[in-house]
Amino acid sequence: MTGDIIEAAKFIGAGLAMIGAAGAGVGIGLSVQGALGGMARNPDTSSNLMTNMILGIAFSEAIAIYCLVIAFLMLFVL
Amino acid sequence: MENTRKWRWGVNRWIILGLIILSVIGLQFIKPVQPHIQVAPENLTKEPLFTLPVIGDFYLSNTIVAMLIMDVVILIVAFLVRQGARKNGLVPKGIAGAFEMIVDTLYGMTEATAGKYAKKVFPWFATILIVVLFANLIKLVPGFETIGLLEESQHGYEIQSLGSVWSTVIDQEAHEGGYIVKPFARALSTDLNFTLALALISVVMTQVIGVQAQGIHYFSKFLNFTTMFKKPFLGFMDFIVGLLETISELSKILSFTFRLFGNMFAGMVLMALVGVMVPVFVPSLIMFFELFIGAIQAYVFGMLTLTFMAQATQGHGGEEEHA
Repeated sequence: MTGDIIEAAKFIGAGLAMIGAAGAGVGIGLSVQGALGGMARNPDTSSNLMTNMILGIAFSEAIAIYCLVIAFLMLFVL
Repeated sequence: MENTRKWRWGVNRWIILGLIILSVIGLQFIKPVQPHIQVAPENLTKEPLFTLPVIGDFYLSNTIVAMLIMDVVILIVAFLVRQGARKNGLVPKGIAGAFEMIVDTLYGMTEATAGKYAKKVFPWFATILIVVLFANLIKLVPGFETIGLLEESQHGYEIQSLGSVWSTVIDQEAHEGGYIVKPFARALSTDLNFTLALALISVVMTQVIGVQAQGIHYFSKFLNFTTMFKKPFLGFMDFIVGLLETISELSKILSFTFRLFGNMFAGMVLMALVGVMVPVFVPSLIMFFELFIGAIQAYVFGMLTLTFMAQATQGHGGEEEHA
């Protein structure tokens, strides 16, 4: 009985931990909005903006990956 | 002008369609089985290779096998580049030309960011980038996380023999004494030891380069007693900011570790689960996505190392960056 409750709690915990990825989605959307606005005004600097946009996207995605690591910790380790 | 093969439209789509039909036919015979996923890398030998007195046992784990494969590939590529550079001189062709372009681009980025310390910073940036790039790309070779040793386990599956020594795992849960697969080689970046080691190297060498550039005055970033006695209140605020900088340096280690580990481990779990649920065409799309993500993570690790080292050489001129 307790084994089943622990399994259920693991899955619920992993699902709740991924709510934090919503912030990463908003953050990536905002940074791509800024990059596209800049590229539309000034197409010559397009490659420079693209490089910095990829860097900024990786930072935002890292926060979502931290949430994912907690979810994996709950599912596979503990 | 060189002779290029004439591009014929419409060939590739038939090849892909043929492969999809082949995979649908192959699915009737062998159904995919969900692999056993765990965070810690699996040990391939029962007994440790050697034991150190304080630290403990060292096993041959499957990420070490992947690391050896990656080392051999990097050495082969380096050898080919050296031969190409010697043979052709000014305009190397083939893989030597590709690496000349890569190194030129990276050195340009280093000079733009670090200025006059580019020669000291460039080896760390380029090495970390190339090691992580090769470690992430070698993961995509077929057979990398699928071929391995069979091990008895509680939640195992039945097996079926394929030939002399090889067996395959069948999609039937065994009630007792089933088998799971322990892969021979697992992606190196899914090992927390590797990412933690790279993060420690990166952060410690940042401090070393900061001391080389600024002398002992570099540590006044963390223990800031310079304005403590002239203006007491602002000096105290500077001291608190110095403590926050220390905590920020320690959090850089954690963020480096978990960014690379999380991305690669999530990719491996995604491949394993999607390979069981929709085995027909979708795993190829996920592999393409992982190619992309692997290259981007290598680039981000290297660029962050470069940026932190360049900030360490500048002192109070640079602004803060939280990752």
